[in-house]
Amino acid sequence: MPELEKKDLKKGWRNWAMFHLSSMSFEKLEANGFAHSMVPILKKLYKDNPEAYKKALERHTVFYNTEPQVGSLVNGVVASMEEERANGKEINDEMIHSVKTGLMGPIAGMGDSIIQGIIIPILLSIGMGISSNGNPVGVLVYVIGYLSIILTLSYLLYMRGYKMGIQAVDELLGTNSERLRSAFTVLGIMVVGGLAASFVKLNTVLKIPNGEEAIEFQKTLDGFFPKLLPLIAVLVCWYLISKKKWSATKVLIFLIVISIVGVLLNIF
Amino acid sequence: MDLVLLIQALLIGIFCYLGSISSPWLMGVTGGYYVLGRPLVAGLIIGLILGDVHTGVILGVAVQAAFIATITTGGTQNSEITYAAYGGIALGILSNADTGVAVTLSVGIGTLGLILHNLLMILNSVWNKRTEKAASEGNEKRIIYNNAVYPQIVNFIFRVVPVTLAVYFGQGFITKVLDIIPKDVTQIMTVLGGLLPALGIALLMNLLIKESTQFIFFLTGFVIIVFFTDSMIALTVFGILIAYLTFISLGKSQIEDDDGVI
Repeated sequence: MPELEKKDLKKGWRNWAMFHLSSMSFEKLEANGFAHSMVPILKKLYKDNPEAYKKALERHTVFYNTEPQVGSLVNGVVASMEEERANGKEINDEMIHSVKTGLMGPIAGMGDSIIQGIIIPILLSIGMGISSNGNPVGVLVYVIGYLSIILTLSYLLYMRGYKMGIQAVDELLGTNSERLRSAFTVLGIMVVGGLAASFVKLNTVLKIPNGEEAIEFQKTLDGFFPKLLPLIAVLVCWYLISKKKWSATKVLIFLIVISIVGVLLNIF
Repeated sequence: MDLVLLIQALLIGIFCYLGSISSPWLMGVTGGYYVLGRPLVAGLIIGLILGDVHTGVILGVAVQAAFIATITTGGTQNSEITYAAYGGIALGILSNADTGVAVTLSVGIGTLGLILHNLLMILNSVWNKRTEKAASEGNEKRIIYNNAVYPQIVNFIFRVVPVTLAVYFGQGFITKVLDIIPKDVTQIMTVLGGLLPALGIALLMNLLIKESTQFIFFLTGFVIIVFFTDSMIALTVFGILIAYLTFISLGKSQIEDDDGVI
């Protein structure tokens, strides 16, 4: 009865945590990384059966792509499925493929929006706040904060994925995940609103003639809605990307043109 | 030849490699791309290498603001943040540029870097066939070499060579250019530097906002920072509260889970 020990799982996690993207290509994205991460697991499980070992390695060189840090959960689940299979349980190739492909999408969606959309921007904003006068402490806050949260999360998710096995699939794709996803989305969107207010900067230098002297238009704006211009800038970019389907490069060129025209016409 | 500058430029190139998305040595993207690759962190590292931590951190914060909401999904991105950070901040310090100029430099370098990154993503297809073959032969050593080692040689060259050359030869060139450009151009760069975060934020909104009613949460976050507090931590705590209320309001799940949710 081949059985996985803690040290095999640790190797499996470490291989994934380090080498998930090291040969990333447009063609198969994280496929090689996934195969690499399964090496210690499969080697242990199929050490007495070279034919099954080859088949198992081949099984994991197919296209794969997910958020690699939260995605360690899938590697844990698959390790547990391979163990059951090696012990004679009825688990075929299709089942393993469908678990991998079924999980990678939702995990990528959730992982990208939580990590890149919430955790990183919040930690960066805190670090930037502390470091804005050149103090390096803010940088360290970001580095230590990010590493301790994500490394712990990635390790725990791998181990939990292994423990739950195939059952994790039901749990993750069930109704709870939809609720959780909606809740995180709300938090993410609010944080993004805050980021827009903190980081987008646009002021006008327009002056309104008022008898002898001129009123600075920006001061009038600040009187009723500071940051109105940055808000408009974000909304225009969002409109162009989501409704007009402009590419990021096209919007970038648009912003360059706006800056040039705005400065030359003495608006900004 | 300025040997000190060459060594400094080389070190900056090496850190640019370590912070790249495909570099495995610092726990993959966790310690690499998402830590060393962030302009905020790059600013401190470049400051240490060039002996001006204060300016490094300040430029790091400024460039980070332009890339605050940069997202990478499915291996595609719109600017290569690691090239942008290491190239832009280093040239900014060496040529005593204003922060607005350093930000614009970074964005330009990031766009050029993206070409190299995409080229690497195409060239990496070579390793796929070799890995498949190794798997069918049950040769795990070859899988590991084709995933972890060979692709890194190309990645290393793609990062270290252009960044080292740009930093070594760019300094004098950029300083000269900055001396002769008119004030309007500097002002355009400053305006653009302030506007660029709007693009990153719009991309994030596109990722998160699926229904138009959700826009109200964006406005709430914006208004809280403008009118009530400039603390991101306070906003996050308030956001968690609203998120929790949303979670409750969506109704209890049919699946009872003693362990709680993940």
